[in-house]
Amino acid sequence: MTPSLLTGLLPEIWLGLLFTLLLVLDLAWKEERSTALGMVAAAGLLPVFPVLAWQAGMGSHELLGGMYRLDLLALFFKGIFTAAAILVLLMTRELDKTIPRGHGEFYLLILAATFGMFLAASSAHFVMLFVALELISITFYVLTTYLQNNVNSLEAGMKYLVLGSLASGILLYGIAFIYGATGSMQLSRIQALYSAGAPLPVPLLFGLFLVIAGLLFKAAAVPFHFWVPDVYQGAPTPVTAFLSVGSKSAGFLVMFRVIQELFIGQAAQWAPLLAWLAALTILYGNLGAIPQRNIKRLMGYSSIGHAGYLLIGIAVASRLGSTAVNFYLASYLFTNLAVFLVIAAFSKVTGSDEIKAYAGLSKRSPFLAAAMFIALLSLAGVPPMAGFFGKFLLLMGAVSEGYIALALVGAAAVVVSLYYYLQIVYTMYADKPEDLSPIRVSLPVRLALWVCLAAMLGLGIWQGPLLHLSLAAISGS
Amino acid sequence: MIHPALFYTVSALTVASALGVILARRPIYAVLSLVLVLFGLSTLFVALHAFFVAAIQIVVYAGAVLVLFLFVVMLLDMEPEALLRARNKTMMGVGILFGLFFLGQLAAVAKALPAATGKPLPGTTAAIGKLLFTTYALPFEAASLLLLVGIIGAIVLAKKKL
Repeated sequence: MTPSLLTGLLPEIWLGLLFTLLLVLDLAWKEERSTALGMVAAAGLLPVFPVLAWQAGMGSHELLGGMYRLDLLALFFKGIFTAAAILVLLMTRELDKTIPRGHGEFYLLILAATFGMFLAASSAHFVMLFVALELISITFYVLTTYLQNNVNSLEAGMKYLVLGSLASGILLYGIAFIYGATGSMQLSRIQALYSAGAPLPVPLLFGLFLVIAGLLFKAAAVPFHFWVPDVYQGAPTPVTAFLSVGSKSAGFLVMFRVIQELFIGQAAQWAPLLAWLAALTILYGNLGAIPQRNIKRLMGYSSIGHAGYLLIGIAVASRLGSTAVNFYLASYLFTNLAVFLVIAAFSKVTGSDEIKAYAGLSKRSPFLAAAMFIALLSLAGVPPMAGFFGKFLLLMGAVSEGYIALALVGAAAVVVSLYYYLQIVYTMYADKPEDLSPIRVSLPVRLALWVCLAAMLGLGIWQGPLLHLSLAAISGS
Repeated sequence: MIHPALFYTVSALTVASALGVILARRPIYAVLSLVLVLFGLSTLFVALHAFFVAAIQIVVYAGAVLVLFLFVVMLLDMEPEALLRARNKTMMGVGILFGLFFLGQLAAVAKALPAATGKPLPGTTAAIGKLLFTTYALPFEAASLLLLVGIIGAIVLAKKKL
């Protein structure tokens, strides 16, 4: 079935309508009902899943004169973004009290960022891509700075804004060079020019490297990682969570689109650089996480480490590598959000993000402690959790393309990451708590955590369906 | 076709003013240099027959945005000592090193760039309007959402009470 404009862009149209509805409701309702607004947004996102499933039967198409692309990869990532947005909305509802003002706008901005991610997933043209990425970035600048009375939040927002603008400038500069060298900004046309495997001319390569630099910033990889720890620590917890799964996934999706899909025949020209960066990112993230005392900051370093693993999948430039990236991002979504849900539920009661404060969590809330334990094991990559299988696929991809040293670095870093993840577990289970009062967990967070836990264990033990989906997303594009 | 003498004069002026933006000690001079940069760019756009973009450069950027910049700079009233402290010798050294490396790469790129072919397209308002509402309709609409987010963000961040 060939999609029309309406059926092809249905998820975006729906999201746009939802955004408008929230904007109107925010004005019409009183501030006290803002929690209900979050529920409206989360419920409104649910119908996106059946629409995406329905669109999966349409095949690959370019709409709007080659501006918009409908294919399985885009749909796969839209599914990831929607799931992330719903879980983040639930998390925001939990932390309503810690955000002093502007709750309605907060939900609105989360939807706007999701809209940007949808467009980024479907863009088939550099102009569309840039506008979509800017929509994501600018929304996140505002969300990061949301806690007006918190110096950390202001500092984080400022740093993110300045460095992010620089990265956007570099990205745009690179796009200009690609346009200058090829005469087109449409991805499929550029692909047709170089599909024969001829070496890329110097100006195009220069532009490509600048674009990669801009995208590495989004993905939080070395050497564009400086913003990560401060922003992760300073931003409101739901924003950190969304940044770590949504923004990062968008970065890797776009990286796959503009590097691997376009220039797979010229992999020898760009892959070695990415392989080096992957190794450095893995080492930097995992070693930097060891001395951290703040759990959000630690998650920032851990996020850099994971970006390194994902870069392996891009650098190996094979079907296995790309499938692994898709699988990894889907499992990382549930794992990382589980950790941030625990952080949110914990800080709501205790008001602290220090790892020391987690002492004796197993006695105060056995459920939270168990959820955190399982999620951290999955992050480190311990079987039978989903994180293990993702890492396993990535390292297998590296070995099968001859990047033995890179695979060894990745395997060694797993041990390092186990050390700092298990430190948290040790604090939770073995240390004596100062305060023995139990921590109550609200029903939405409990539900969201159960979903994450089920996904983590389910995807780890029964990998087949997601693996097929990941592979189909690569092959269908 | 743009005359080489005109191109090189305007480009040199633009690059010199751009250097002025980052080298000027006082923010006010930096902003004024930026105005000069925009005028230079606008001249280049005119030479490329992109009249609409040229006019926008002057009216919107040089006229409106930079006037706002000037207001902000004047209202902030930065102390000269504070500005001096912000300069870090090592960072400057590293920056210059990277800049030189980048220039070297850029020279290699400039040598390999293909010569422009064909006549410049008409950059009139009508042509741009047509493109915006046909080929670029989706990014155009997305940009409007981007602006809306910008407005919401500015209000949320700047207002004490919502």
